[in-house]
Amino acid sequence: MPAIRHASKRKPPPAGFSDIEDDLLIFSNKMKDAENAPSTNVPRHQVHWPIFQISHQRSRYVYELYYEKEAISKQLYDYLLKNGYADAMLIAKWKKTGYEKLCCLRCVQTKETNFNSTCVCRVPKAQLKEDQAVECVSCGCRGCASSD
Amino acid sequence: MLKSTHKPIGGSQQLAEGWTEHKAPTGHLYYYNAATKQSTYTRPAAPVDAPTPIAPIGPSQSFLQYQSVGPGFPQGEDRGSRGGFQGNRGGRPGNDRPRPQPTDRPKSRHLIPGFEPWVLVHTKLGRRFVFHTEKQQSYWRIPDKLKDGILQLDQQRIKEKTEALQKTNEPVSTGEAPGAAERPEVHNPDGDDSSEYEEVEVTDDEDDENPTKRQKTFEIPDEPIEYNEDDIAFQLATMGEEYGLDPGEYDDGNMENWEEGAAGLELTEEDAVALFRDLLNDAAINPFSPWEKLVEEGKLVDDTRYTALTSMKARKETWDEWSREKMKAMRYMRAKEEKKDPRIPYLSFLQQNANPKLYWPEFRRKFKKEAVMRDTSMTDKDREKYYREHIKRLALPSSTLKTDLLALLKDQPLSKLNRSSNMDSLPPAVLGDIRFISMDPSTRDGYVEAFITTLNPAPEIVEAEDSEEIIRMKKEKERRQKALNDREAFVREEKRKQQRDLQHGKGVLRYQELELERAMQVNKKGLKGQLVGEGADVMDTG
Repeated sequence: MPAIRHASKRKPPPAGFSDIEDDLLIFSNKMKDAENAPSTNVPRHQVHWPIFQISHQRSRYVYELYYEKEAISKQLYDYLLKNGYADAMLIAKWKKTGYEKLCCLRCVQTKETNFNSTCVCRVPKAQLKEDQAVECVSCGCRGCASSD
Repeated sequence: MLKSTHKPIGGSQQLAEGWTEHKAPTGHLYYYNAATKQSTYTRPAAPVDAPTPIAPIGPSQSFLQYQSVGPGFPQGEDRGSRGGFQGNRGGRPGNDRPRPQPTDRPKSRHLIPGFEPWVLVHTKLGRRFVFHTEKQQSYWRIPDKLKDGILQLDQQRIKEKTEALQKTNEPVSTGEAPGAAERPEVHNPDGDDSSEYEEVEVTDDEDDENPTKRQKTFEIPDEPIEYNEDDIAFQLATMGEEYGLDPGEYDDGNMENWEEGAAGLELTEEDAVALFRDLLNDAAINPFSPWEKLVEEGKLVDDTRYTALTSMKARKETWDEWSREKMKAMRYMRAKEEKKDPRIPYLSFLQQNANPKLYWPEFRRKFKKEAVMRDTSMTDKDREKYYREHIKRLALPSSTLKTDLLALLKDQPLSKLNRSSNMDSLPPAVLGDIRFISMDPSTRDGYVEAFITTLNPAPEIVEAEDSEEIIRMKKEKERRQKALNDREAFVREEKRKQQRDLQHGKGVLRYQELELERAMQVNKKGLKGQLVGEGADVMDTG
């Protein structure tokens, strides 16, 4: 059983956390709402889409703050990763060429698909048929190829 | 955009009450629901009917929505009766609208040359659709393959019309196909007189109806191609003039047809960016927030400066740049302002709010929303410690508290606390001490002020640390001064030398001039002498 860490015993977060605290709170509230939303009239495969999407947005938020806008410190970034505010594995993919907009890790997991291929959302728009609307099964992504 | 906050079930009944009436800049009434952020021109129905308000269907959307009218298009059999069925098939809620909706119906139809089973049907409201007589199907969106035929038809009609204008007012249309085509939902009260169908269709019995009642729909510029580009451009221009709009404001996808400079004649790109940045500055936005949040909140959309930039991409780019700069500025400001001891605000908060009747957990729960209680630079543990200590000290006799306070004040070095310091500029070491807050402020301040008057004035050696710096600065200054003096001396020397050279040159010149003058002074005697001399010479030689 993991140790229960009481708020009073916790180390304070690094400087700069207070700037992004409110937005992270909004994200976590959204996530809670998505988790508690009734899934009775939602198709089975779509139940987890909002979860994936919010997780993606939050990771993207942290990623952009650190790597693109350079607005937060390394300490704060590490703290955020450690405390689950962003998905480190997903961010690791975003740093690779061709994966800059990857929606979720499941969509590049070739071993989980029947033909050992990636998800349809990874296909560039140029290679799809015209007016072919794509919503991937795992996270509802509408296309996350880098060239789109 | 993802809207995760799920709405309560059965909320549509409450939504009906949320509608408010507003007046558009064009003078039309419209209805807005603050809860759903929807607006519509059609008056929302009574709450009994649980109206799901009709979304504000954009003109371009409406065609997608009613792509096919359905196979039940009665044709031929009830040719004479112009009624058809007019009831709304859709079973939409909100039938009891106060304003009667004008119904649309087919007015005339033409065979499309070259595509025989297809018929082009014009409706009373000036729209048109194609109808396949064999398959009994009709489409608002005209299939691509028919475009050629329709273009041909249009040209033919225009030709006929001009001929008719020249000769007489002969009816042009070939026949009538009254039937029932259900009128699509788009009811845009923005009547538009430039709709060109109206003047083209001159049929005898339709003209009997008073033409003022005709409801014409807003023309949709990205309808399937029906007229040539000039027509569209002209129509857009006239509409733009009528409404006083820029083409950018009713984005129609026909950007190439906009008149030159129609979209923001006086607004350059930099101006637009600057305007948007002004908006961002004025709206008091946290630069750390994600862009999506900003879009979702919709705070900016109401401002007209939001439209200065026409594309969402440009807006996002501007936002990125702005937030980057803002964050940098914030970081710089923070680095500049001195580190504040988090204990000082907390202790002053304790002094105001701590109460021996409250245990720490109660106190914490009571004030957990306060900024000082949430400040992350101080741990909860420390807060608890100070709270308990403060409460404990409140029970002590005031004499002890006073001696403690005086001891605290005495401990301060003279450089920090001296006669020139006052209550507002006490050193942080005093303010952040638990002994300072134990007494009631009114009595404590008197003690502190009395103590300060007994102190010596501030020592002179306060600037010991920066004296070195000052010496360095002084040296530097002296060096600079010396360098300047040297340079001046050198310049002076140079000048003198130059002067001397000049004088010398002038002297030489004057001497030469004198010599010349002397040479030029030829008197008779001199000449004679000279001549004599010469003659003598000549004689000598001769």
